[in-house]
Amino acid sequence: MAVTEARPAALAPRPAARLISWLTTTDHKKIGILYLVNSFIFFVIGGVFALLMRTELARPGTQIFHPNAYNQLFTLHGTLMIFLVIFPMLAGFGNYFVPLQIGALDMAFPRINALSFWLLPVGGLTILSGFLAQGGAAAAGWTSYVPLSVQGKAGQDLWTVGLLIVGTSSILGGINFIVTILRLRAPGMTMMRLPIFVWSILAQSLLVVLATPVLTAGLIMLFADRRLGTSFFDPTHGGNVLLWQHTFWFFAHPEVYILILAAWGAVSEILPVFSGKPLFGYPGVVLSFLMITALSFTVWAHHMFATGAVELPFFSITTEMISIPTGVLFFNWLATLWKGKIRLEPPMLFALGFIAMFLIGGIDGVWMASPAVDFAITDTYWVVAHIHYVLFGGTVFGIMAAMYYWFPKITGRMLSKRLGQWHFWLQFAGFNLTFFPMHVLGLRGMPRRIADYAPGRGWSFLNLVATAGAFLIAVSIAIFFDNVFVTLRKPRTASADPWGANTLEWATSSPPPPHNFDALPPIRSARPVFDARQAGLSLEGQP
Amino acid sequence: MGQRVANASRHVTRRRVGRPGVRSRWALPTGFLLLALFSTGCAQAGATVQGEKVHGLYVVIAIMAAPIFIGVEGLLLWSVFRFRKRQRDGGLGPQTFGTTRALVIFFAIPSVIVATLFALGEQTLATVQKQDPSPVVIIRAEGFQWEWTFYYLNEGFVVSGKTLHVPALMVIPVDEPVKIQLHSRDVIHSFFVPAFLFKRDVIPGRTNTFTFTANKIGTFPAQCAEFCGLWHSKMTFIVKVVNSTDYTAWTEQQIKAVQSISCPPHGPALSIVAKDISWNTNCLAVRAGSPISISVTNRDAGIDHNFAIYDSFSQTKKFFQTGRFPGVSTRTDQLPPLPSGRYYFQCDVHGPSMSGVFIVGGK
Repeated sequence: MAVTEARPAALAPRPAARLISWLTTTDHKKIGILYLVNSFIFFVIGGVFALLMRTELARPGTQIFHPNAYNQLFTLHGTLMIFLVIFPMLAGFGNYFVPLQIGALDMAFPRINALSFWLLPVGGLTILSGFLAQGGAAAAGWTSYVPLSVQGKAGQDLWTVGLLIVGTSSILGGINFIVTILRLRAPGMTMMRLPIFVWSILAQSLLVVLATPVLTAGLIMLFADRRLGTSFFDPTHGGNVLLWQHTFWFFAHPEVYILILAAWGAVSEILPVFSGKPLFGYPGVVLSFLMITALSFTVWAHHMFATGAVELPFFSITTEMISIPTGVLFFNWLATLWKGKIRLEPPMLFALGFIAMFLIGGIDGVWMASPAVDFAITDTYWVVAHIHYVLFGGTVFGIMAAMYYWFPKITGRMLSKRLGQWHFWLQFAGFNLTFFPMHVLGLRGMPRRIADYAPGRGWSFLNLVATAGAFLIAVSIAIFFDNVFVTLRKPRTASADPWGANTLEWATSSPPPPHNFDALPPIRSARPVFDARQAGLSLEGQP
Repeated sequence: MGQRVANASRHVTRRRVGRPGVRSRWALPTGFLLLALFSTGCAQAGATVQGEKVHGLYVVIAIMAAPIFIGVEGLLLWSVFRFRKRQRDGGLGPQTFGTTRALVIFFAIPSVIVATLFALGEQTLATVQKQDPSPVVIIRAEGFQWEWTFYYLNEGFVVSGKTLHVPALMVIPVDEPVKIQLHSRDVIHSFFVPAFLFKRDVIPGRTNTFTFTANKIGTFPAQCAEFCGLWHSKMTFIVKVVNSTDYTAWTEQQIKAVQSISCPPHGPALSIVAKDISWNTNCLAVRAGSPISISVTNRDAGIDHNFAIYDSFSQTKKFFQTGRFPGVSTRTDQLPPLPSGRYYFQCDVHGPSMSGVFIVGGK
């Protein structure tokens, strides 16, 4: 099974054997690749849903989609992007690189690792199979508020069960990461020498393990209310509709940090490499990660200010307090760049784009943290702008930075720099064209999740702009895929450490052998490969 | 140490580019102002006393956010241009790891901003949340899939829209405190008037109330802001703010309109049709004393309706009620004998938006 790795093409096994090796693998690197491939497939599906929605919204009036279809599209777009694209993508990088970065042979529980992965496509397809059910797929939004979600047809049950499966996958994966990071570090790899990406995965996994079971509980209550005649959420039988919102957001606000911590980690890994400097204030970044992890459990009800049923000042101050450690991250990133020798390779372009865009997502969130302003802009397109500046301008730019950065390690091939630049600039332009106008739409009172709007509200032109931007994003993503597929057909030429990087994954060949390392360099700081390079030690696989 | 190095170099660069003088000295403040103007220009000023306060807070946050935005993006761009690696450069920048002092400063700056922001936010919040103890108009606003009904509790009448056809109209007097009580008949909705810079969720099993004072005469589009299913996007309504004379005239007209509804009596078999969450008539009439059957047709697939007769929309006395039944189907029932008079009928699922006058005539 493992013999297929890094062998000349002449000795490659037959296609059937190769397929079986992928289906049965417990190698964290192969599982990492499976995570990434699976995520990109769902990314394309979720992206197409987004394009269809933007096409419908380009002009006022109903053009192509009946509201029933539109409601399914936005529900599935949100669900897929959050649960089957962004999180698994980050988990994929984590799978591939956490063991390598801490000098380990594999994850702590390789077979559970394989199970975590295989649950994902099963859960994803269960959710998507709603399109084949009578009444269509789930159409209550990714937040699935009751009682609306209790009204839904069979598609809603498939959504509930699918999400239960995906949540189980996350919990298993989270436990695996925590044990791996705490127990399998190479000699010399102390906690304060951990690569910052590993710290971000550790924080993310703590959140997953503590928050996801709450969602699981909520989903079981929802299913029971729908099919077993219970009334957890039914006020006419002693239930409470807001119980769902509390349960959901107690999970889903930490989830937002689950969806960005590892992107922060990857960017904090990339900025120092392409600035020729160490990460400024490493302990401060670690402290910020941990503070955010803790604080993220105290803010959930800021999604519920407009219910009139939550303690406003408490949730307002905790929400605003999260901007303190987040601000520290920005300071540290800027200080890392300061006086560096900045190389604008594609990973760095995306990392810089990440900072520039995530800043906007951070700032526009501050208005909503103030309940008085939140009453005006919550549930409008302002929220849509905010979440996309955080999860697209933030995480997706971070994911792309990580893709360009780690692609040579995973495949042994360098992605084209020129295409990478085209990808970056088009994605950057398309992204801002799509999502910046949504701030203004929100201020002009356009509610989110509407399948249609009337002309004459001052919304039409900006919606058209947003739609044009969405297609520009699609072009940029097409260029990215083109880059990937063309590169994959080229010979493996990448050296062990093509970027002049810092962490252990660059101390082994590209791609690494199944056992990861023949020998490890001494680990005496957070940058063992940097130290080895400075000391003139030769690295494995280095030409 | 790294901090000190950074400060020193900032000093040097400022001296170097500082010559062009006036222009660069004003560039930054002008930038802040433009950004603040841009972001506040997009926001509506608010057509209520409370909304104006919210707008004020919005502007304050914009003014605080502008320097952060420009500062961070500016530093980012500056770093990329100033510190970009040249061909002849050596490989590495200064190996500065950061000091505890820098970390303390990094934590202190956002802490101060957050403390200020929170204090200002709480001040405005107190104004917005404060309920007026003596509202002039009290409206019970009912949301349901997918329409609004407004009960004018002091004046004693109801207005409602026709789902998918006519948005509900709420008329209120200018400069008078208005109290809204929110009720839901089914799922969660949200009462949102963009021009008032305010919304509040309409939650089954819970009554949310708030008061506001509109201070601009005008017509303001409004709609449900919490996703509520198939026709969520059509759950719009209109708020019209008028002077007190016009308000009195409008309320009188509403009351008279209901009183003037009339129709000729029909034979022993009545029929009524529900389609698109509306009845096909707002008036049914029969002769007193004769046995009457009513057949109710529900043409809304998958949506429940029923038919009930009360003394008035306040439903103090119930005379007749069928069970709820989904479309598409028809049911026929015998009505009990009713004394002569004017009654009120409605679909209990959708309330006054599906209602009318039931007249039992003299002969």
